Amino acid sequence: MNTGDARAEIMRSIRAHLATSAPHDTTNTNHDASLPLPVQSPSPTAELSVVELFKQNLEAVDGHCIIVNSETELEETVKRLTEGKKIASPDEPRSDLFKSDVGVTGAQAGIAETGTVVLDSSVDRNRLVSLVPPVHIAILDASRIYTTLGETLAALQSGDEVSPAITFITGPSRTADIELTLAIGVHGPQELYVIINQNT
Amino acid sequence: MNQLSSETFGENAKAALGDAQLRGALRNATTLFGKKRREAAASLSNWEELRSQARAIKDEVLLHLDRYLETFVTNAETRGAKVHWARDAAEANAIITRLAVERGARNVVKSKSMTTEEIHLNAALERAGMQVVETDLGEYIIQLADETPSHIIAPAIHKTKRQVAELFTTELGMAPTDDVDQLTSTARSTLRERFATADVGISGVNFGIVETGTIVIVENEGNIRLTTSLPRTHIAVMGIEKLLPRFADLDVFLKLLPRSGTGQALSTYQSFITGTKRNASDEGPEELHVILLDNGRSRMLAHPVTRQSLACIRCGACLNACPVYQQIGGHAYGSVYPGPIGSVITPQLIGIQKAAQLPFASSLCGACREVCPVKIDIPQLLLHLRSEITDKQPGGRGKERLAFKLWAAIMTRPKLYEKTVIAGRLFQRWFKPPVKAWTNGRDLRPIEAESFREHWRRTR
Repeated sequence: MNTGDARAEIMRSIRAHLATSAPHDTTNTNHDASLPLPVQSPSPTAELSVVELFKQNLEAVDGHCIIVNSETELEETVKRLTEGKKIASPDEPRSDLFKSDVGVTGAQAGIAETGTVVLDSSVDRNRLVSLVPPVHIAILDASRIYTTLGETLAALQSGDEVSPAITFITGPSRTADIELTLAIGVHGPQELYVIINQNT
Repeated sequence: MNQLSSETFGENAKAALGDAQLRGALRNATTLFGKKRREAAASLSNWEELRSQARAIKDEVLLHLDRYLETFVTNAETRGAKVHWARDAAEANAIITRLAVERGARNVVKSKSMTTEEIHLNAALERAGMQVVETDLGEYIIQLADETPSHIIAPAIHKTKRQVAELFTTELGMAPTDDVDQLTSTARSTLRERFATADVGISGVNFGIVETGTIVIVENEGNIRLTTSLPRTHIAVMGIEKLLPRFADLDVFLKLLPRSGTGQALSTYQSFITGTKRNASDEGPEELHVILLDNGRSRMLAHPVTRQSLACIRCGACLNACPVYQQIGGHAYGSVYPGPIGSVITPQLIGIQKAAQLPFASSLCGACREVCPVKIDIPQLLLHLRSEITDKQPGGRGKERLAFKLWAAIMTRPKLYEKTVIAGRLFQRWFKPPVKAWTNGRDLRPIEAESFREHWRRTR
C-alpha cells in the first residue's frame, strides 16, 4: 500500500463527511481567529509566596522540597543528599547509568500551583539522569518559578517553536494499578528532591 | 486470548453480575475514582468554563480537521518527525511492523495506548517475530495473564493483588507475596532489563499540537518516558482526532484530563516531544515516526451528533460514573473501549451489526454526560445509534410504531383504557404479555382487582 494514497484518501474522507453535516469552508485559513483563547484559572496565590506554594503542592504529592539561601548551602545540601552514592552522569554507558543511585539535574522552570519542575533537554542533558536512577535531585532557581500552568506554557513557547524535549515532573513516579493501592517508584525515581535556590 | 465479543453482551453481562469478586473490585474502584474526580473538579472555581472551552476547541479542530492535520504534519516533519497515514488497523500494523523489521528490531517496549489496543498491534508484531512487552504496570499484568484491559486508565482493575502475586510467581518466578510494593518492584526490575535492550519504543499520544508539531503524552509511572527516551526509534500512534490548535490550549486540557481521570491536579509526568533531537550529543531517539490513524474516525464527522465522539480525551470518567459499568465492568462490553464512551464509539468503529447491543446498555441516566470533561452528550449519541440500529432491523421500526400507536390510542381514551384494563384482568390468567426480557429478572405485577376509579365510583 502506498502512504500517499492513504493520506489522500483519509483527507478525501474527512472532507466528504464534513460536507454532509457542516458548512465546510475551503478558503478561510485563519481559524485561530474564531477560536476562544484559553481561560486563565484564578491565580491561587492569595497568602502564600510562590516558593511556599510550590513547596506545599510538591509535598502534597510526596516530593521533598528544600529551600536554600546561598550557593554554599546549596552545595552542602547536594553533598549531604548524595554522600556515598553513585551519581549518574549523562555520558556514562547505559549499563553504568542503570546501576547509579542518584541523578542531579537543574530545572529550567517550576510551576507553583502544582509543585512541578520543568526540564528542557535542549539546555541540559537531563533526560536519562532525571529518570533512570531511583533518586532525582532537581535544582530550581526561585526566580524561575511561575505561579500557574498557563504562565509556564506561555514561557516555554517562542512563536511556533518549543524545545524538542520538555518534561514536566510532579512528584515521584507512582502507580495504583494493583488494587488501587498507591505504590511509589514504579518505573521512574522513588524519591524526588527539589532544592529551591533563593539566592538568585 | 480469551476475549469476549460485544455480540454476546447480554450473556457477558449476566456472567459478570454473578462474579462477586469482580463486583467488589468495581465498587471500590469506581467509588474512589468518582470521589477523587469530584474533589479535583471542585478545586477549580472555573471548572464549567474549562469544560465549555475544551469542547469549543475540539469542535473547531473537528470542523476543520483536514486543514489542522495538514498544518500539524508540516510542522512535525519540519522538526524531524516522519508522519505515516493509516486508513485502518491493518494498514497501521503493516507500517509499524515494516518500520520495526527494517530496523532489525527484536525487542519492542510499549507504553499504554488504547489506540494500539484498538488495532491489536501486539499480535501483529508478534507474528513478525518481535518480542513485545507492555511496560505500564497494569498493562504488563494483563499481558502476562493474556487478558485485555477492563478500564481505559486502570487496565487491571478487575484483578486482586493475590491474583497478581500468583501470576508473578508463575510467570516471573517471584517468591509468593501479597505486598503491593514488592510486586511493583519486581515488575520494575524485570522491565528494566527489557528497557535496556529495546530497539523500538511504541507509545500513544494524548494531544498533538498543530502550531508546534508537538506530541504530548501524559502518565504517572515513568514508563512512557523510558519508552520514548531509551530506544533508537520512537513510534507514536495517534488517532487523527487528537489535535489541539495551540500550545496554550494545553492549559485547558492538562487541567481537565488528570482531574477527570485520576483526580490529580497534574499527572506525575508530561512529555512534550517536538520532532527529533537537534544535536548529535542530545539524548533521546534518533527517529520519531508518527502514525496517523483513521480506522473509521473520519466517518464520524458526517453528523453533528456522531462527530462529538471524536472530542473524547479518554479520561475514563464516564466509566466510573456509569451505573451499568459499575456493575459489569469493562470486559462484558466485549470491545476495546468499554463503558458509555465505548458503547458509542464501538458500533461506529467496528460496525453497528457487530455491537448492536451496546447502545442499549444504558438507562440514559445522563451521569456520563455530567462528568464528561469535553461535554459529550453521550445519551444523545446512544439514542442516535439506537434509532439507526432499529431502522436496520427486519421490518424497520414498523412493529415499534404500531405498538406505540396502540398505546397512545388507549391512553388518550379513558373509556377504552378502562375496558382494556377489565379485559386484561380477565385474561391475565391465561395470557402472558410478550415481555420475557423484563420478567426474566423481575416480577410483572398482576392487574389490581379494583382500580382507583372503580373504587371511587363504588364507595363515594
